[in-house]
Amino acid sequence: MKRSSWRILLFAIMLGFVLALAACTSGGEKQADQDEKSAENGKKEEKSGEKVYSIEDFSVETTNEGEAIEGGHFKFGIVTDTAFEGQLNYNFYSGVPDSEIIKWFDDPLLSADEKHNYTQDGAATFEVDDSGKVFTFKIRDNVNWHDGKPVTAEDWLFAYEVIADPDYTGVRYGSDFTVIEGIEEYHNGEADSISGIEVVDEKTLKITYKEASPSLLSGGIWPYALPKHIFKDIPVAEMAESDVVRKNPIGFGPFKVDSITPGEAVVLTKNEDYWQGEPKLDKVTVKVVNPKTVVQALKTGEVDAVHEFPSDQYPDNAEMSNVEFLGNVDMAYTYIGFKLGTWDKEKKEVKPDPNKKMSDVNLRKAMWHAIDNNAVGEKFYNGLRWNATTLIPPSHPNFHDKDNPGVAYDPEKAKKILDDAGYKDTNGDGMRENSDGEELVINFASMSGGETAEPIANYYIQAWKNVGLNVQLLDGRLIEFNSFYDRIGQNGDDDPAIDIYQAAWSVGTDVDPAGLYGRDALFNFPRYANEENDKLLAEGVSEKAMDLKYRQKVYNEWQQLMVEEIPVIPTVYRAVLVPVNKRVINYSIQYNWGDFHEIAVTQEETEKAK
Amino acid sequence: MWKFIVRRLLITMPQIVLLSILVFIMAQLMPGDALSGLIDPNIDPAAIEEQREKLGLNDPWYVQYTDWVTSAIQGDLGQSFRFKMPVTELIGQRLVNTFWLGLATLIFTYIIAIPLGITSGRYNDTLRDQIITGYTYIGFATPLFIFALVMLWVFGYSLGWFPTGGSVEPGLEPGSFAYIMSKINHLLLPAISMALITTVNTVQYLRSEIIDTKQKDFVLTARAKGASEARVYRRHIFRNSLLPVAAYFGFEITGLIGGTIFIETIFSYPGMGLLFMESVLQRDYSVVTSVVLLFGIASILGALLSDIILSLVDPRIRIK
Repeated sequence: MKRSSWRILLFAIMLGFVLALAACTSGGEKQADQDEKSAENGKKEEKSGEKVYSIEDFSVETTNEGEAIEGGHFKFGIVTDTAFEGQLNYNFYSGVPDSEIIKWFDDPLLSADEKHNYTQDGAATFEVDDSGKVFTFKIRDNVNWHDGKPVTAEDWLFAYEVIADPDYTGVRYGSDFTVIEGIEEYHNGEADSISGIEVVDEKTLKITYKEASPSLLSGGIWPYALPKHIFKDIPVAEMAESDVVRKNPIGFGPFKVDSITPGEAVVLTKNEDYWQGEPKLDKVTVKVVNPKTVVQALKTGEVDAVHEFPSDQYPDNAEMSNVEFLGNVDMAYTYIGFKLGTWDKEKKEVKPDPNKKMSDVNLRKAMWHAIDNNAVGEKFYNGLRWNATTLIPPSHPNFHDKDNPGVAYDPEKAKKILDDAGYKDTNGDGMRENSDGEELVINFASMSGGETAEPIANYYIQAWKNVGLNVQLLDGRLIEFNSFYDRIGQNGDDDPAIDIYQAAWSVGTDVDPAGLYGRDALFNFPRYANEENDKLLAEGVSEKAMDLKYRQKVYNEWQQLMVEEIPVIPTVYRAVLVPVNKRVINYSIQYNWGDFHEIAVTQEETEKAK
Repeated sequence: MWKFIVRRLLITMPQIVLLSILVFIMAQLMPGDALSGLIDPNIDPAAIEEQREKLGLNDPWYVQYTDWVTSAIQGDLGQSFRFKMPVTELIGQRLVNTFWLGLATLIFTYIIAIPLGITSGRYNDTLRDQIITGYTYIGFATPLFIFALVMLWVFGYSLGWFPTGGSVEPGLEPGSFAYIMSKINHLLLPAISMALITTVNTVQYLRSEIIDTKQKDFVLTARAKGASEARVYRRHIFRNSLLPVAAYFGFEITGLIGGTIFIETIFSYPGMGLLFMESVLQRDYSVVTSVVLLFGIASILGALLSDIILSLVDPRIRIK
């Protein structure tokens, strides 16, 4: 007995040692890790002196030359550190990984050009009547589901009926749908059918909208059909988990799903009956690739291309010999927002508060003048992000106002504006007080994530300090994603401690920014509202704005208004990079590109890095 | 003995209930929920709110907990929000992978531990022993997640001997010979990586036990009887030294659970560990609670298993 209790004690002591050792070592490891990282950063900074890339130097299409071989097996990687969800249908998916799989076997019925406008080249053509409210769609005769049954108007209507159904489990039912006549009655269970959608004949569908709007023509129409002959017997609430979504998904795209390894990979074979013509590839494998190992996967030829390459790994791999990097402007921007009010939960609209710390436009303007976003782009992102000027990114070439310079970096001007507006240092601590002589401390909320999050936040704080503004990181640290958006107000409960914050938006295909800056938009996190703004936003989606020139004018005015009012400072635009193996031809990352059947390869095996 | 097992299981029940409550509360304390990742101007906030209401995410935690428990007792662990499928089905998919990974790791652990432990104990304080002990110390000191990354880099990418992610080559017919071989092939590297680190405890244990047993009187008696050295080690020392190793088996299972979380994340191996990580990050509560509950049950059963094995190996131990 005695012995064994000794043994236990000994074990406990040993365990203690092991833990202590493990703790020491892992701590030490981390330290070393950090040292290594900062050493790496050092290297990068050295490099960045000479290596600054520009999006202009990237092509959006592969430039590889060569004779395509018959067939071939293309391997596509989805860069994510989680498994894909496996909701493999456009009407039910919610994650990006799933949509990157669906695009290989299903098509939208409407195609769009690189300016995000619908064209007549898709699986369906359309006509708009003179009022701009009634759309008549005609699905091409040769568009058939993978099981050989034709894609019908009935199938398209069915997609609308399912999404508007009260039992629908996804998040797609929103403003794209509520603009259709009679759909709200259907959603609320007051009507048995959607009065605004009519099946004219087998291949013709007519949709009546409540109002004419240019938004409808740039991504405002739900372009996906749902095969009624397959789904009709499944209750709507159970559709998303059914086998026809998870195990044997169906579409009418260039490839057919052959087999699925849940969470890992999908193998597809070509659909000879594809409406745009027989695909050149025989087989496509889509698999999940971890962002930590994506470089190796590309070098060893495990994948031919990935959906998106982590751009912070680009500078170290720019010379990878077996791939060509394609680049495009991302449909997104990063920004710094100013809290100008609160969210009124009752009225569901923004309540501006003129007594907020940041409500003086001069202060906001000075803060914009004080920061050098081009330097941020070059130093931290090697030029793969660059100074943003307005709130419509250049990914929308029709509407991004190239001639609007935004507010330029000019710290002297910033100081002058602050001086003139009465922000003076009255107590001699080197920091400005506000115009009433009270101490001014601005709380800055910034999200954690990535190596550069902290240095960038610190850079901004330093830049503001240089013009005499005392900006402090909220709580003295970066905030994790979920709590960040909770505190910014994704539920309407804004944290009053936050004065300014840094975040990013990805933007939709339609340029209309009402969902982000409208008076009734919950995502209007700055809680900014202004009558001129309301007017312009309404004007931008009005019937008159069906005329492109007029719409451009409205949005140019809106961009200018935002530059004057500065509810947020757009900081950087960003590039999206996609490496593609040199054996691949006819591949493109242009927005809305839909010619997957044209992709071909020039040799049987994926080229490996030298 | 049966009485003992039943009693142990009864004690286990409140432990599991307590565990599930703790897990549930902690999951609720995490900021954000399954829908907060969907901040996207293309998605109507009203639609998100509607889903939130439908899923009961706005209810207080005890209401959600009672709902969950009521259905869990009926064998329904709820619906994964993220995967939009029943949690039982989801876990079923993943559990198989983790089970094989765990089994392979255990096999490798003992394949490595037993010869090393015996050699090291039998020839203690020789060069051989020092090398083995040296390895165990390095093993103790190396964090699993760093070691696994190095293994992946060396054997997966640089040498290309093993696949670098996933549980099976996509596109093979399930059940076919190629499919099974591919599964085994995908298992090897993660299992060996984990075994090389987790085995060091067992090696050390076995070593000290053998050194201990070597000096006991019955060994002397055996030698005096004229038993050959090999027989002395095989029949007398080895058997008696296995006791603590067997006792450690249950803990080994607990350790495996912690290990799989790292290993599966690094090797993108879709098992329970990866599922757990993802679900925590994505706030998929129903999955998190279910997975933790299963982990908890596995640990408790592991400990029970240890006791039972112990009584089988050594009849002197009576469990009351």
